[in-house]
Amino acid sequence: MALAAQYRRLVVLTSLLVLALAALGYRLYDLQVLRHETLLEAARDNTQRTFLREPRRGDILDARGNLLATSKRVRTVCADPTLIGTNQAAVARAIAPILKMSPSELAERLRLRTWINDKGQTNVDKYVVLKRKIEEEDWQRIVNAMKEISFGVDESKLPKRMQSSYHYLRQRAIFVESDQLRVYPNAALAAHVLGYVGVEEQATRNGRVPVTIGRDGIEFTLNSVLTGVQGWCQTETDSRRREIVSLREQDVAPRSGLNAVLTLDAGLQHIVESELAVAMQKHTPISATAVAVRPRTGEILALANLPNFDPNKPGAVPADYRRNRVISDLAEPGSTFKIVVVSAALNERTVGLEDVFDCERGHFYFAGRLLRDHAPYGLLTVLNIITKSSNIGAAKIGIKLGSEHLYEYMRHFGFGQRTGLPLLGEISGIVHPLPKWTKLSISRIPMGHEVAVTPLQMAMAMCAIANGGLLMRPVLVDRLEDDQGQVIIKYSPQPVRRVISEAAATQMVTALKSAVATNGTGTRARLDHYMVAGKTGTAQKAGPGGYQTGKYFSSFIGFFPADDPELCISVVLDEPQHGYYGGETAAPVFRNIAERAGNYLAIRPQFRPAETVAAAQITGAVEAAAGQRQF
Amino acid sequence: MARNRRNQSAAVRFGPTLKAFLICLVIGGSALGYVYQKSEIYKLGQQIKQSEIRLEELRRHNDALQRALASLCSPRELNERIQKMNLGLAAPRPEQIVRLPDGFAASDVSLGQRFLAGQRPTLQAQR
Repeated sequence: MALAAQYRRLVVLTSLLVLALAALGYRLYDLQVLRHETLLEAARDNTQRTFLREPRRGDILDARGNLLATSKRVRTVCADPTLIGTNQAAVARAIAPILKMSPSELAERLRLRTWINDKGQTNVDKYVVLKRKIEEEDWQRIVNAMKEISFGVDESKLPKRMQSSYHYLRQRAIFVESDQLRVYPNAALAAHVLGYVGVEEQATRNGRVPVTIGRDGIEFTLNSVLTGVQGWCQTETDSRRREIVSLREQDVAPRSGLNAVLTLDAGLQHIVESELAVAMQKHTPISATAVAVRPRTGEILALANLPNFDPNKPGAVPADYRRNRVISDLAEPGSTFKIVVVSAALNERTVGLEDVFDCERGHFYFAGRLLRDHAPYGLLTVLNIITKSSNIGAAKIGIKLGSEHLYEYMRHFGFGQRTGLPLLGEISGIVHPLPKWTKLSISRIPMGHEVAVTPLQMAMAMCAIANGGLLMRPVLVDRLEDDQGQVIIKYSPQPVRRVISEAAATQMVTALKSAVATNGTGTRARLDHYMVAGKTGTAQKAGPGGYQTGKYFSSFIGFFPADDPELCISVVLDEPQHGYYGGETAAPVFRNIAERAGNYLAIRPQFRPAETVAAAQITGAVEAAAGQRQF
Repeated sequence: MARNRRNQSAAVRFGPTLKAFLICLVIGGSALGYVYQKSEIYKLGQQIKQSEIRLEELRRHNDALQRALASLCSPRELNERIQKMNLGLAAPRPEQIVRLPDGFAASDVSLGQRFLAGQRPTLQAQR
């Protein structure tokens, strides 16, 4: 009997043990098999972390290695509102002064927000960006402020769970992400070339990541090479979120972006901008632009627009100030365009410098319309037509050259097509196709009407004459280097095509020298130490309903030393006051820039100041010696 | 009986004891070595982390210095400083620059002597 009772107890006990073991076994099966993936993910989430490593954006340097744009490591301050709960006000009060925000605005951002996803599930937003571009020192102040924050309760008397929630709030509610701030140490210098950057959030496997993206200028054009390649680090952290370095699994270093070395020269750029600023004060134009190009290579040494902006704060000025007018503003070039028709006629041997045209005492009827000169010229040689900038003379040369040839040369000089400058917003200009030309066109285009060009196109055309007839592609980026200074890509000068022969170019240079050296329109561009060749331009502004009275584009494009050119400078003033002729407004700006530029670039002087007059007389003798052939 | 006592001696035999000791030593040593290595790896990890933080700080400092240098060297800054310090500095004019002809040798002192004597050498282009 007793034995039977013992057996029963044994069976019961064994059954209980088996049941317990079975339950444990099922639990094990549940954890290890049925919920394996979920729990594995949860376990990984607790310890494993993947940190993205932002690449350093490449610098932009000038031709002499001066820093024009660089990057600074900063922080983006973020918050997890789920950890803050109802303590937004206390947190906002503590950190708002450091973030330079109002506490109420910050408290509003820290408020818990929910949203419903596509599956109808309610989600809580655990990621709020509070402020970008915070300095490291400010972040340390935020960390200290969060450590010392008081919530108005005696936390030691609270239950453990509450204590830990306050602990997490202090430790984890406010966190940072790596970011970088683009810095332009020279402020507004070359702003239109450099451009500026913006921040864009990109979705990655590891969530949203702020990415710096070029918005304009070289920053935009070379964004892909400046950006670099992101790295990452897959590792594990302890309960206080400190990395356990020994458990790092993957550690891929980021690759910094390449440094872009421009052809710009910061010193020359400063000279150009400061002289334009003086012109802005003197003539109060709507805008002033200048571009300095090395004619032989097409390298752009300076490109300036006023008004300009500080790329460190691009939003602080109207959008109009950020426009690069050198490549995006169209205007009828006026008399500077005469270089195209005369070059073409000289190249085709339709005329010679010594040929004479009757300029009709300043009144010339063509196709039923009157064409005027600014002075009643009679017989003028081709050289003098350039020197005096006679519209009637240029029109007659154009008529003699013919529409087809003129159109062909305009296209060859690069008008009506982009120059290929690597900047955003370049426009091609307007050159009407031949079938759209009116009877009047052949008399108007030679004097720079019925065409619209950019200041850069005009400058490159002048460079083609200066360098012996080769149209060069403008070069703005000299090379790309890695962060060790090794050259990755070197950009060489690129001739686009030969536009005119060397002989025609030489004749053209002679004519352009006379425009500056003798009593031509560009005498105010004359330099003390160099012979200048150049051409003035004064174009009435076109608007709705025709040409606008009293509104002009005034320009001067010239190069020096005339026979061995080192620098070609184009200056354009939009609606200058106190004088509007290119010769009286833009030419002096050219002279001031050129004098300082020649000195700065150590261009060998051709003569001493006293010799300038003699040189002018020598050039003047060319026209005196010219033969007489009348048209 | 005496023969049995001789064969099954109660005395601890040296060989097996040594073997057991060595096995324990190897196992124990391995365990200690493993722990030591783990500890060293952890310490090394900490050192790497500290070095990375230090490297980052140095890079940041270097960047800051480069930015400061760039700002100080910017033409605008230089001009402002020249004006503020009222030094009267200006770029030399071309006639103030003496250009030596190519191939000018140290022994050819005539140009230098003429300059010192107050005779300015010609500034005509030497091309």
